[in-house]
Amino acid sequence: MTAVPPAVGRMPVDRARLDRMLNPRTVVVVGEKGPGYQFLKSQLEYRGNLYSVQIDEKEIPGIEEMGVTNLSSLGDVPGEVDLVISAVPRPVVPLITRQAIARGAAGVHFFTAGFAETGDEQGLALQEQLLDLLREDGMPAIGPNCMGVYNRALGLRFHPAQDVGGDDPEEGSLAILSQSGTHGVNLTVGAQRAGVRVGRTISFGNALVVSESDLLAYLRDDASTNAIAIYLEGVREGRRFFELLRETARLKPVVVWRGGESHAGARAVRSHTGSLASEKAIWDAMVRQAGATPAGSLDDAVDAVAALAHTDAPSGRRLALITMTGGQSVAITDEFERAGFEVPELGAASYETLAQFYNVIGGSYRNPFDAGGTIRELENLGRLLEVVEADPAIDGGVAIDLNVRLFADEPEQFTRMLDALERFREQSGQPVIATLHVLVATLQMTDREDESREAVLARAREQIVGRGFAAYPDFRRAAAALRRVVDYQEWRSATGGA
Amino acid sequence: MSEAPAEIVASARAAGRTLLSEVESKALLAAAGIPVTEARLATSPGEAAAIAGEFGFPVVLKIASTEVAHKSDVGGVLVGVADEAAAGEGYDGIVAAVGRAAPGATVDGVSVQRQAEAGVEGIVGVTSDPQFGPVVMFGLGGIFVEVLKDVAFRLVPLAPRDAAQMVREIRGLPVLEGTRGQPGVDLEALERLLLSVSAFIEAHPEVVELDLNPVFAYPVGHPAGGAVAVDARVVLGEAVPA
Repeated sequence: MTAVPPAVGRMPVDRARLDRMLNPRTVVVVGEKGPGYQFLKSQLEYRGNLYSVQIDEKEIPGIEEMGVTNLSSLGDVPGEVDLVISAVPRPVVPLITRQAIARGAAGVHFFTAGFAETGDEQGLALQEQLLDLLREDGMPAIGPNCMGVYNRALGLRFHPAQDVGGDDPEEGSLAILSQSGTHGVNLTVGAQRAGVRVGRTISFGNALVVSESDLLAYLRDDASTNAIAIYLEGVREGRRFFELLRETARLKPVVVWRGGESHAGARAVRSHTGSLASEKAIWDAMVRQAGATPAGSLDDAVDAVAALAHTDAPSGRRLALITMTGGQSVAITDEFERAGFEVPELGAASYETLAQFYNVIGGSYRNPFDAGGTIRELENLGRLLEVVEADPAIDGGVAIDLNVRLFADEPEQFTRMLDALERFREQSGQPVIATLHVLVATLQMTDREDESREAVLARAREQIVGRGFAAYPDFRRAAAALRRVVDYQEWRSATGGA
Repeated sequence: MSEAPAEIVASARAAGRTLLSEVESKALLAAAGIPVTEARLATSPGEAAAIAGEFGFPVVLKIASTEVAHKSDVGGVLVGVADEAAAGEGYDGIVAAVGRAAPGATVDGVSVQRQAEAGVEGIVGVTSDPQFGPVVMFGLGGIFVEVLKDVAFRLVPLAPRDAAQMVREIRGLPVLEGTRGQPGVDLEALERLLLSVSAFIEAHPEVVELDLNPVFAYPVGHPAGGAVAVDARVVLGEAVPA
């Protein structure tokens, strides 16, 4: 939990200095402690100049063992300093801040906790003192009480589970803002497992100086960011945040997951309307009005992000649904219809073509397609998808239930199916959304002596998301995620977004 | 009585009030182009009869007192008043009933209003959120709002798209669209009402809360127009000391 300071008299943030902090060439970690050395250990693949400042004799050998240069003062660090990560105990924070200012550092990230969020006198006094120092210099600070900056291309991390890569920034990636460090890590890793490239994550904690609005404004203008996910517990400048959210959502999708209740406080209400305006009702309306995508949990946020990142904008809501069994063909139809999609019959010409190869014994092809018996034949999924693509009755793409057992028994066939789906996506420009159920019966049949069923499932999933398809563990989540894409696209075209 | 908006606010301020009377609220809203049933204050039975005669029948009589929150609970509302004699008698009857049920409440008189034809009941309102500022609310009346809290909000200012979404996102939408042979109501008229409330709030930052409850909504082409607020309550913010 973090404390939300008042918005009055907030310190403006220098954009050029913030840019240096978020894309640093030189990083100094001050006050790192073993045995974990979380910040230094996470930076071992950092493609920049990394230094440690630590005067505790007990800690220095452990730091040097990692191959990191340790210095006794920030003043000794050579060259320009872009980011100082402060992990010192809270009474030392003002001293380190003065040194960082004297050294001309662009900005500081305070991992250190123990400020206003504690509510104790010393914490509040320290926060005041810290803010005065920062204000005098105009130094942007991230935190306190947070995990700071992850930058994939630079290999700058705050958790070793975050991946590292030197992708072409032109390709675009997801950026994550999180008031909580834990959710910052979880959203990053969750999105990466769903096959989404995460370029940046910023955990910003108490937001003494750099707020969610400052960071959102940065990401709105950041060319390497093509989608944004945000975890928040409250906002400081409500109107500013709303307006930034609306501007940003016109350019790129923004998923907003909100936890907890804000600390806005009670107010006197003299109208019927006021008594109905719950905090949640207003928040939900604000997100919707801004054209952002609401999420209610970590899974929900990752589901939405995966669909928005992987799925091309469908031109309609009429889908073709493909499963391997009859029962699943009914279940998938129920869920997609419930989420507002249509599952129409195809045209007569399509059925004529299908009749030439479709195995109707134990199967059916009205739409939904109960296709287990048919697509055992290697070429048949491709033929089926060609029919779907040519039929104007379908304008929203394909949802398909991919079978783990098939993956385990006939990996070659599974790969061919993914090839066919990729071809369909490219040729039709319509989305493909996949489910990979964790069905007990199916999983038991995938048990192998040398590999657990969970491992088989994970490998299957990896293959699917590796092809750039969003994959979900059940139909309901798949349908809800695809619905988010449709809602966002409809909002964007209605508001004349780019 | 048709005071200019600035005078209405100034006279409430001068009296140290933040709650406007129904007559004041409706005059302020009507001046901003928001459809309300016309209401005028009568301070005697004779005046009530005269105003009623001018409006035409039927009319509604309501107690005029900023100290009575629920007028009908204290016998302060009389509907279907059919002629001038009934209006004069109704004046006395209402004042006496309120005097019995709420002794000590200051009574300014009785407001005489044109009686709107019954329509689908909605509620439109404004409140001020501490984080996001003024917000507009829309919902259906009765159990939809009281029990199910089936309402939609948007931040001021509303874009046309926001108003269109608000009237369509409530669960009670089928009631507006028409059920069991009832024709649907004029949704666009409700949207225009929401947009004009949003514009009113932008023009009057001193208004912090507003209830239009009920609003009667009618089918397209209905002679009474698309939608009209039958009751109104405007709350001003605390005066900022000069």
